Amino acid sequence: MDAFFVSVEELEDPSLKGKPVVVGGQAHERGVVSAASYAARRYGVHSAMPLREAYRLCPTAIFLDGHPHRYREYSKKVHAILRDFSPAVEQVSIDEAFLDLTGAERLLGPPLAAAHALHERVRRETGLPCSIGAGSSRLVAKIGSGLAKPNGVLWIQPGLEASFLAPLDIKKIPGVGKVMQQKLRDCGVHRIGQLAGLDEGFLAQRWGKLGRALAGKARGEDAGGWFDGEIGGRDLPKSISHETTFSIDTNDRALIDATLAKLVQLVARRLREHGLWTRTVQLKLRYDDFSTYTRAHTLEEATQLDNVLLQTVRRLFLENWKVPRKVRLLGVQAGSLSNPEGQLGLLDSEQRRKWGSALAAADALRDRFGETAVGLAAAMRHGRRERVHENPAGLPGKEPSSRKQQ
Amino acid sequence: MEITVKSSDLVKELGLGQGVVEKKTTIPVLSNVLIEAQEGRLLIAATDLELGIQAFCPATVTKKGSTTLPAKKLLDYVRLLPDAELALKVGDNQAASIACGRAKTRIAGMSRDNFPELPKMPAALTKIPAKALVNSISKTIFAVANEESRYTLIGALMVLREDGIAMVATDGHRLAFVRTPMALEGVSGEIRGLIPKKAMAELQKLAADGGESMMVDFATDENHLFFQCGSRLLVTRKLSGQFPDYERVLPKEKGTAVPLHRDELMAAVRRVSQFADDRSRAVRFELAEGELKLAASGSDAGESEESIPAETGAKRMKVGFNAQYVLDFLGVAETDSVELQFKDEESAGQMQLIGQGDYEYRYVVMPMRI
Repeated sequence: MDAFFVSVEELEDPSLKGKPVVVGGQAHERGVVSAASYAARRYGVHSAMPLREAYRLCPTAIFLDGHPHRYREYSKKVHAILRDFSPAVEQVSIDEAFLDLTGAERLLGPPLAAAHALHERVRRETGLPCSIGAGSSRLVAKIGSGLAKPNGVLWIQPGLEASFLAPLDIKKIPGVGKVMQQKLRDCGVHRIGQLAGLDEGFLAQRWGKLGRALAGKARGEDAGGWFDGEIGGRDLPKSISHETTFSIDTNDRALIDATLAKLVQLVARRLREHGLWTRTVQLKLRYDDFSTYTRAHTLEEATQLDNVLLQTVRRLFLENWKVPRKVRLLGVQAGSLSNPEGQLGLLDSEQRRKWGSALAAADALRDRFGETAVGLAAAMRHGRRERVHENPAGLPGKEPSSRKQQ
Repeated sequence: MEITVKSSDLVKELGLGQGVVEKKTTIPVLSNVLIEAQEGRLLIAATDLELGIQAFCPATVTKKGSTTLPAKKLLDYVRLLPDAELALKVGDNQAASIACGRAKTRIAGMSRDNFPELPKMPAALTKIPAKALVNSISKTIFAVANEESRYTLIGALMVLREDGIAMVATDGHRLAFVRTPMALEGVSGEIRGLIPKKAMAELQKLAADGGESMMVDFATDENHLFFQCGSRLLVTRKLSGQFPDYERVLPKEKGTAVPLHRDELMAAVRRVSQFADDRSRAVRFELAEGELKLAASGSDAGESEESIPAETGAKRMKVGFNAQYVLDFLGVAETDSVELQFKDEESAGQMQLIGQGDYEYRYVVMPMRI
């Protein structure tokens, strides 16, 4: 999707169109830019940039807190359209997805026609602009969609992948970060074509698995990291987590408690949404001096219930908090995820059943009336506003961060 | 000390104490048994500080005295001797000389000064038939948790009332409950004690060895439970802490009760479970028209299905159980028929014996999500 959050805001408020818009929070706030309109990008504003810096670059920009529930809604709509085109959909973020159209030629026509049909349908049904790259690998498709922006469609014909990639800067390769870029540039490699010209053995010797993946990527293949997986492959995710930064560092127990409750609620909601159970609960605690601690506890029995997680997280916090040090950031992560199979517990079955059905009802309310419709009382003590960059819940088909750590 | 004793008598008593002795202990003397020559008999004691056993065997005592000897080495050796009188002599250096026929051996010992005293048994509170104890233990011991984390669950709860004895064990996934009605003289109100798993196993051995009609003297002090089985005494530390409220867990009603032939069910579960997931061991039980269907498909090796003709009532449902849990019950069920009771996919199922009037046996198992 093109400048997804901004596009959604523009749909709701057409007066924003064409203006520099920054979604993520107010200009003076902590936090980062989640999305910037193309007008704002001309000033150098880009996502993940601190809000204050964005303000410095573009003081005239309109700063919006954003509406996570709206983005989710539109994301769901788009996802439903994608599902109409292929059963193999892999949504990698709220505004980005891969479709495997292998074998769909008779149904949808040649790749370019299919891409156009999809593009048109998204525009017609949601009013949102998007860009589509079509190619023989996810890597080529992704790079293609980037070049097609804004609001374009690009098809890279089979066989032409290498020549398409060759003139592009190496920073366009997904998974090549600043460090790797610098290393490559130190070797005199600036364009993907130069990279493809290098001997694979040399790359492998120099950077091991990573080097081999680079060689593959330079040829336009899906190689390395999550590119190795199948589209829509059902790998179990490794973890589900949420974290939040306080706008003012705090040591207020009530505020901290409420924040933990809120985070747990988000994590547990996503566990249930994905039909997953967790056994390892991890607390992340960052103090005002940026020293960061993570502490985990393994439960005797896998759970997806708010109350069980909250109890554990609270205990972890109290055991590890050095009173009265001020806390900057709190995070809750659920790990050791498993599928439904599993032994139910005997001794707490009654309590668990009650919580289970209460939470199922709460989830149904949230599906219908939004994420804030109902929640733990403990989490309501403070009005933590959901921030758009905090990995919002409820992405249809979005698999949690499964391959991040590979 | 200087005695003669029949080697078979010695083997028997040493063998009963062997289970108590810790194989790996940081306190060397705990690998040893205490032997003490008293008037006309030899006292043998072993302890791991939690659990202690004390027994006697008849002996001709020439000179009294005591020492401690390595339990395993002593038993392993004496067991190999022919059944004959053996002469045992302990000098000042704690080493024991054993002579039997033409065999002569010296075993290094340790002074008894470091060997912990077993607590003294107070006056017996009541007498429990050994048979009931053995039965209660054998039908609950497998449900005791192995993990150390659930401290109060790593033993069984024994409840004595004037009208009977009950034993309950649970590992959080299943619960086994046995109640044997009988008049227990001397018991008023309720006496509860948490018996560690190891003590249960040893008590089962001691009580079973005493024969059908033996009565076990029971006593308790603040920290210990005492079981006197004939001349043998077992002392165990009580587990502290709160045993879960088991009465809340026992189902109030039976749900759909399906009577089944024990051997038939056991054979079917064994076969089907070969194809269950190795870790979860989940087998699906399905109440179908006129039959109980079993199925497992968790393993990469394949899948298996089987059905047993049964009166399944009107309700149709599928519920998963850990095959091992079911087999544990069937393994100790001595009646020809058993009854499986199902409520729903998320509620505990119950298994009971059909045609057993001497005691009540309830085995409650939580299902698995499948």
